[in-house]
Amino acid sequence: MAQWQEVQNLANTYLEQVHQLYARSALPMAVRQCLAAWIEGQNWRQAAEPLSSHAPMLFHSLLVLLGESLGSLGSGYEDFMLKHNLRKAHRDLQAEFGKKPERFANLVANLLQEERRILRLGQAGGQGGSVPPPSPAPESSREQQIQRRLAEFQTALQEAKRAFRHLEDLQDAFDFCYKVHYQPGQERNRDPEYIQELQTLQAKLQNLDRQRRGVLAQMQQLLGRSETLQELLQQELGDWRLRQQHVCLGAPGDTNLRHLETWFTELGQGLFQLRQLLRELNDLRQKVTYERDPLVAETPLLEQRLQEQLTHLLKSAFVVEQQPSTPNAGRRPLVLRTGSKFSARARLLVRLHDRNHRMEAKIHIDRDPPNIKGFRRFNILTSSSKTLLAGDSPQEGLICDFQYLTLKEQKDSRAGKGKGASGEGPLVVTEELHLITFTLAYAYCGLELELETTTLPFVIISNNNQLSSAWASILWFNMLSSDPKAQQFFSSPPAAPWPRLAEVLSWQFQSAAERGLSRENLLMLARKLLGSKPSPDSTVPWPKFSKDGAAGFSFWAWLDGILSLLQEHLKQLWKDGLILGFVSRKQEEKLLKSKMTGTFLLRFSESVLGGVTFTWVEHHERGSPSFHAVEPYKASELVSLALPDIIHNYQMMMEENPPENPLKFLYPNIPRDEAFGRYYSEKQEGNLDESKKYLNRRLIRVSSRQPKWQTEEELVVATENLEMLQLQPEGQGTQQPGGLPLPPSQGSGTAQVTPGNLGTPQVTPGNLGTAQVVATIPGTAQVTPGNLGTAQVTPGNLGTAQVVATVPGTAQVTPGNLGTAQVTPGNLGTAQVVATVPGTAQVTPGNLGTPQGVTTSRGTLQVMATSPGTLQVTPGSLGTPQGVAVSPGTPPVVATGPGVPQVTPGNLGTAQVVATGPGVPHVTPGNLGTAQVVASRMGMTQVMATSPGTLQVTPGSLGTPQGMATSPGTLQPRGLGTLQPQPQQVPQVVASGVPDIQGTLQVAPGAVGSLQVLPGGLGVLQVASGDLGTLLGQQGTVAVDTGMLQAAPGAVEPQQVPEEQGTLPPELRDLELLPGSQDMQELLQALEGLEPGPGTLGTLEGLEPGPGTLGTLEEAELMPDMGETFEERFQLSPASAALLDHHDPFLPQPEDCALPAVPSLFSSSDFLPLHIDASDFQ
Amino acid sequence: AEAIGLYNLGQSCCLNSLLQVFFMNIRFTRILRRITVPPSPGQRRSNVPYQMLLLLEKMQCGKCKAVGPTDLACCLSEHRVKLFVQHDAAQLFLTLWNLLKKQMKNPELVAELSDLYTICIQEHLACQKCSFEIKSNSTMLTLPLPVLDASSHRLKTLEDSLQYFFHPEELTGQNMCFCQQCGRKTTFLQSMKLVHPPQTLTLHLKRFCFEQSFRTHKLSHSLPFPQELDLREVLTEDQCLANDSEKATWQYELFAVVAHSGSTSCGHYCAYIWSLTECKWYCFNDSEVCQVSWDDVKCTYGHSNLYWRETAYLLFYMKKHPQ
Repeated sequence: MAQWQEVQNLANTYLEQVHQLYARSALPMAVRQCLAAWIEGQNWRQAAEPLSSHAPMLFHSLLVLLGESLGSLGSGYEDFMLKHNLRKAHRDLQAEFGKKPERFANLVANLLQEERRILRLGQAGGQGGSVPPPSPAPESSREQQIQRRLAEFQTALQEAKRAFRHLEDLQDAFDFCYKVHYQPGQERNRDPEYIQELQTLQAKLQNLDRQRRGVLAQMQQLLGRSETLQELLQQELGDWRLRQQHVCLGAPGDTNLRHLETWFTELGQGLFQLRQLLRELNDLRQKVTYERDPLVAETPLLEQRLQEQLTHLLKSAFVVEQQPSTPNAGRRPLVLRTGSKFSARARLLVRLHDRNHRMEAKIHIDRDPPNIKGFRRFNILTSSSKTLLAGDSPQEGLICDFQYLTLKEQKDSRAGKGKGASGEGPLVVTEELHLITFTLAYAYCGLELELETTTLPFVIISNNNQLSSAWASILWFNMLSSDPKAQQFFSSPPAAPWPRLAEVLSWQFQSAAERGLSRENLLMLARKLLGSKPSPDSTVPWPKFSKDGAAGFSFWAWLDGILSLLQEHLKQLWKDGLILGFVSRKQEEKLLKSKMTGTFLLRFSESVLGGVTFTWVEHHERGSPSFHAVEPYKASELVSLALPDIIHNYQMMMEENPPENPLKFLYPNIPRDEAFGRYYSEKQEGNLDESKKYLNRRLIRVSSRQPKWQTEEELVVATENLEMLQLQPEGQGTQQPGGLPLPPSQGSGTAQVTPGNLGTPQVTPGNLGTAQVVATIPGTAQVTPGNLGTAQVTPGNLGTAQVVATVPGTAQVTPGNLGTAQVTPGNLGTAQVVATVPGTAQVTPGNLGTPQGVTTSRGTLQVMATSPGTLQVTPGSLGTPQGVAVSPGTPPVVATGPGVPQVTPGNLGTAQVVATGPGVPHVTPGNLGTAQVVASRMGMTQVMATSPGTLQVTPGSLGTPQGMATSPGTLQPRGLGTLQPQPQQVPQVVASGVPDIQGTLQVAPGAVGSLQVLPGGLGVLQVASGDLGTLLGQQGTVAVDTGMLQAAPGAVEPQQVPEEQGTLPPELRDLELLPGSQDMQELLQALEGLEPGPGTLGTLEGLEPGPGTLGTLEEAELMPDMGETFEERFQLSPASAALLDHHDPFLPQPEDCALPAVPSLFSSSDFLPLHIDASDFQ
Repeated sequence: AEAIGLYNLGQSCCLNSLLQVFFMNIRFTRILRRITVPPSPGQRRSNVPYQMLLLLEKMQCGKCKAVGPTDLACCLSEHRVKLFVQHDAAQLFLTLWNLLKKQMKNPELVAELSDLYTICIQEHLACQKCSFEIKSNSTMLTLPLPVLDASSHRLKTLEDSLQYFFHPEELTGQNMCFCQQCGRKTTFLQSMKLVHPPQTLTLHLKRFCFEQSFRTHKLSHSLPFPQELDLREVLTEDQCLANDSEKATWQYELFAVVAHSGSTSCGHYCAYIWSLTECKWYCFNDSEVCQVSWDDVKCTYGHSNLYWRETAYLLFYMKKHPQ
């Protein structure tokens, strides 16, 4: 929306400010209104520069436009008045500014700026203070940040271009005048007219120089910002690389490059445009140059910096989009087979290319082969180069897509293998890592670069039976290597931390059968691998994972067997969670013991590769229950009969009774057919239509009872692990540990949930329930107590606990180290939060909720009260509680110890802050809020009132509150403390302070403020206004009304003129001598005597022996004072040698300056005598 | 008030950056505003504090986006701070500060200025053969921190660098000192203890090294610095000489970074400064000023492959809880 329109939509208080602004302005509001759009479209600030050729042009245009609109007005009464006003304005403006158009430009520029300021205030005020003004905007996501920065970069670039065009104009104007007026020669040197012309010329050159420096500063700023932008892009690209690596391993994730491509292209485009601008700037220098021309000194630096940045961007923008994979590899890329086709694709994210230039992309395999004995070498059989065709598919970007590649091993490459090699033997084939390198000869706009990128390492096999172990290598590498080019990785493979391995294993199940591993599954696998319960520090060595194995096969071979069994035959059952899967024998008995006879579970065999079995429990009238397990089914059997059908028709042959199916309930208690019914196949053997004459027959599995049940080798001796077994706690409470969804509890139970690694427990107690959740690393616990429920949550290290209490539950949350607790009580709920070192607790009570927070040292507590709850926050030592009250709650915040409470009441809220000890509370009331601050001993309060809150500040003994009121808040200090209110930039009376006895009142209004101070007895009054100087009242005897300073709100006036008494003559406006100060000369002498002598540090010589002293003698003399200490240290250390040459190499040397002999021309008293190099003008 | 830029007068980006760091420090401007005005116009013209105050007032009247520090620059040139010369920021900072201190005259203000900026340390030299020990108190304006260790390995963080700076060093071989007690040259252990760091702590990263004694070149590698610096956590018990209540104040927050881009022979300075009144970061590039974020400041950590990029050169930290 246009600015003037927005201004008109402001609230009345702000509109009033706008009216006042124009009441004293030489530009009538009628003109502003009439030509609103045009006025806003011009660059007045630039035109206001001295001697701008732009200013007369703009002024003239305005008068012409004004005339035109006069002509187009009708003859109605309202128009009649408007016409009159505009005609008057036309006349007045012409009279006042006709000779000084740049003053008019300055006036308009200031008006627009002031409007924007009022707009900002008004719009911030209109938002009801929901955002605390001093705190920065919430950190947006990186994606948003990149987009915002890209937009800002574009804007700044356009601005730089505009400034450059202006510079061109200035230079042309100067050039013209120079050629016309500059006539070196003696005869006219005394002609006053000529001298006048030369002075004008000199001024024009000054102006040109300033504009050149301005443009250069803009370029520096632009490059600085684009460096940050590029840093963010690199981080985003790094994340993408990691994501791609994970996705290769089967993790879910998006590896689309669309966003990155757009961002890289936009930044690349911007940098190329900047490069062009820099070239044009150089062209300007070719036409006009002078002594100390900034273009000469600074453009080479800018060029270097830009070139480096652009190169860095392009080099990182060349990425492998699709890692090498064979077409049917499915979920397992990076394993290639000799003779089989594979493909790989690279992409240049900067989508900029020259249509007329052919770019060649090439691939090489193992360009820099590692020094490993017996390392196989391969040739790429198909063509290894490709032309990147421009314009082929503009929307698809710049890609090098290599398809149908095949590899062939070089015949003689393994000649050395097995020939009595000393030292380490060669790696096995599946541990040999190979790389493909892409290169691209890039050329655009005269920039030529050789770009390259490499794939992730891959394994080349010659037989499909190597696939499983090849994949194990790929898993291990991508899980652990930080260097994607480390081809020597398996010469000494590192061990894998268990939590990391657990995650990667879970991805394997996720990608094979769409369901990852549960916490219990992983615990069993960990025991199998580690032999004990895993700790966060447990690690698994590579041989243990892929090579050793008690049963004749490695852990990975066993797991991979299960994976392929799952994928081919049990996908649906696994996905639906019917297979418990990884349960040890001991565990299994514990689970089944308390269940009804016929309760069974499905698990994978530990003794057979790729086998699944079921175990059921049978209770006897006497003695302990017995458990039966059937011999594991393998893929070969499941091909002919699916597992649900086996379960359905499974028969137990009894000695005397008819056969029966012992499988009755799937653990814990689901009737068999309910669990498996929908998987039973209706199909019967043979064709139904044809086989009516036959009786149906079904293939079923039967076991006969044996005295001893078939045992499986127990690979792991498990210790007791009770907490894992609390799948169904006593009573009516309920829990949901990861992976096993169970219905929520009703009534008054107690639920205790302990998620371990990676689990996410969700607990919902019903009425009257109590939920206790303990989250350990790095799980997430979510607890929602219902009515009257009590939720107690204790996240451990790194855990995240989210608690939502609804009416009228009580939530108690204690985050441990590094934990994050988020608590949201609903209506009537009570939340108690205790944050210990250094957790973060966030509490948001709803209506009527009462949150109570206690932070102990270093915790951070964020409390947000919505109406009308009560907020009590007690930070311990070093804790930082932050409270935000939205209307009309009353959050009293009590900070003890050195904590820092920050309180921001929103609309209508009342915030009470009591700081004890050396804490620093920051209080910022929003609109209409009331903030009451009591700083007691040693506390320091900073109070900031934004309009129109009321702020009451009561410092206790020794406390120092600092208040800053922006319009039109009121500050009322009391007591013994020191009060420093600092209202800023307010055109009305904005602050009035009444200190009581013995208080100290320091008032520093900002530039435009005016101030009324009424001190009581014994107070010390210090008034320091930004522009208007320092008034120091004498202790105990403060003149009451002389402290009033009134300044005209100054945006329009070039200078403020203080009117009232108590002001000073302009020269001394900023200073007043202290009462009773000595005669200046005396003082100076006295001080000279007091100057400290050179410091003593005789021992310094030995301290930092450096290569000699680099400072010059002149400089040494410059710093006699501050102790020789500094000086000596400075000279002694090599550090203190100047970073930069004192003599700028870019300054033209005397012999370079072919300066014409007109010394008198520029020897004026001007500060910057610039000299024109006449050799550049012919 | 929005931040105001300073026009470049010709190689004055270094001066401009330092001036902005001074002016944005409200504790400094509080001192500056109380200076006594020299009586004669001539004295006023050559008085650095007075000219700085005039410039500050000019900037704060808020009428334009940038002002030219012409008068101040002229005044400085009278004190042999050359114009149109690329200065080293650390050295210019020292020069400026000394001029300020020398010309402020009022002893109370001089004391306050010293309190605000000077670092009190104690130097120890201990003979390794006998018990002879020399202690001397001294003050410094900046801590010149190395970015490489003695064997030219890169130090990883600012904390490492501080730690390394205060690490005791054995003076042996050619560097041996004469011991009065032993009566001959002996091996000495030289160490430095921090006694009292000031309100505004200035750190100087020695980002340059000498190659074959002639050419200096810049070290652009990454050296991250924290937003919050707790000297108690960085320095060991042996490296401090202070009681607990003194040490309680040794918590700092980053206030400003003077960054340099380019090479040792040709470069540009800019300043990233945290506005204490507005609570946001600004970047000052001569006449150009813009609001930035911590991400932008972090970008000055440095990068080993990007030689021309902006790298932090001077760091200014401020005490979190002033006494």
